[in-house]
Amino acid sequence: MSDVMERTKTIELRVLRYRPVSDQQPVFQAYQVPYSDDMSVLQLLQSIKDTQDGTLSFRWSCRMAICGSCGMMINGDPRLACNTFVRDLAPNPITVEPLRNFPIERDLVVTVSDFVKKIESIYPYIIPKTPKSIEAGEYLQTPAQMAAYESFSDCINCMLCYAACPQFGANPDFIGPGAMALLQRYNGDSRDGGQQLRLDSIAGEDGVWSCTAVGVCSDACPKQVDPANAVNQNKTKSALDFFLRFIRPKAQAAGAKS
Amino acid sequence: MTPRPVPKRSMSPVFWLMFGAGGMLSALFGPALIILTGIMLPLGLGVPGRFGDYGHALRFAQNPLGKLVVLAVIALFFWHGAERIFLTLKDMRAGALPVLRLATYGVAAILTLLTLALLLEIGF
Amino acid sequence: MSERRPYVRAQPRDWWARKPYLGYTLRELTGAGVALYGGILLAGLISLARGPDAFEGFRSFLSSRLSLLIHLLLLAVMIWHVVTWFQTMPKTMPKLIAGGQHVPQQKLTVAGVALAALCSVALIVLVVAVGALS
Repeated sequence: MSDVMERTKTIELRVLRYRPVSDQQPVFQAYQVPYSDDMSVLQLLQSIKDTQDGTLSFRWSCRMAICGSCGMMINGDPRLACNTFVRDLAPNPITVEPLRNFPIERDLVVTVSDFVKKIESIYPYIIPKTPKSIEAGEYLQTPAQMAAYESFSDCINCMLCYAACPQFGANPDFIGPGAMALLQRYNGDSRDGGQQLRLDSIAGEDGVWSCTAVGVCSDACPKQVDPANAVNQNKTKSALDFFLRFIRPKAQAAGAKS
Repeated sequence: MTPRPVPKRSMSPVFWLMFGAGGMLSALFGPALIILTGIMLPLGLGVPGRFGDYGHALRFAQNPLGKLVVLAVIALFFWHGAERIFLTLKDMRAGALPVLRLATYGVAAILTLLTLALLLEIGF
Repeated sequence: MSERRPYVRAQPRDWWARKPYLGYTLRELTGAGVALYGGILLAGLISLARGPDAFEGFRSFLSSRLSLLIHLLLLAVMIWHVVTWFQTMPKTMPKLIAGGQHVPQQKLTVAGVALAALCSVALIVLVVAVGALS
């Protein structure tokens, strides 16, 4: 499908480059990019890569704010490049940098592996409260029960919330908003019985207690997941658990040492 | 499914709950307290001027319930402030954490004990 | 795989003063105001314990212009504390579901601030009533 709109105007894109083999540190490179009003910043980057500089590296996939690949700092804010439109930023130059608080692998590509480990660490699967065989039928859930955790299931793992969070910036071991949203997706699911197990995993300094309720994670989220709520409601739960654990029946934590 | 090693439990909940209690108390009654003790009582506006005199204040502080109110307000306001100041100083990287804790929680603890001691000294 | 040398950008020391974090820092500093007011109350308690003369000294400070100014400033800080407190507090609660949909946090903020206004007004009315009846 050919472009419907002609690219008659030009905008300057200042991109923070970093090539591990040749660069000691990141350095800005400016590009003049023809654009039309329907374009996203992702399309500007693709235009540069296709027509001006094939060495520019960046992650992208769906182009429609659902895969979570194209997170980056655009004019200092953590944004999805496919969801940020040139018409809203033009005619001033646009500054593009890799996602804040993450190490840079190359150009706009950041290290994702620590985030993946955090996601894996919070038991990201239903641990059934009352296991059922297939023959016994489906687990039933009312719309109200689903509403209790639904927003947390909308997370696309784009990590914009981590780029927004200054406590993650200060402490890279902080479990962070995205992993906590996933944790709450499961802890808030009426079918799940693994609440204590997950609560125990985030009761430390690097768990919920690194959070100071700055709240910008929820502002940055492109999917209205509200990770700030996921983290902070678990502060309440963790604080109550701190005192209530002495009267809790010991058998509760599934298989874990109490 | 083998549960993973559980991280060491943080002591933060103790300070967070006191921060929360102090925050709620000050949010609900703080403005009124400031208006009463800082404006209305000293200037005798809306309340008799003698209400703020030594006799009345002493009787309030000698009353067991009055003592509880004074202790709760002063102590919780200090612990609320201590947590927030500690975390802000930590954000600003103002110093080593043990030093910051002493300067905030430590001071709050001392002032709480002082308040308790004074309330007991004032008698019943 | 080509050579990896991940580059770590240091967090700026003054991040708490830059947007979008300055609002959060100012919110947290209202806690210092709360503690300062607690300090004024403690000063009153100390004067009370030292006797009538010391307490009169404290009272005369309270009726000074300086004290009035300090208290007005603390009142402004306290009111900002009230507003930001109820903006933050809903985050610490599980999502409230009413009628199959969840209650937006803004509603809880408005309810909280209204409750705080009610409580403070009630306390002032109580003291005025006790004063009038005494």
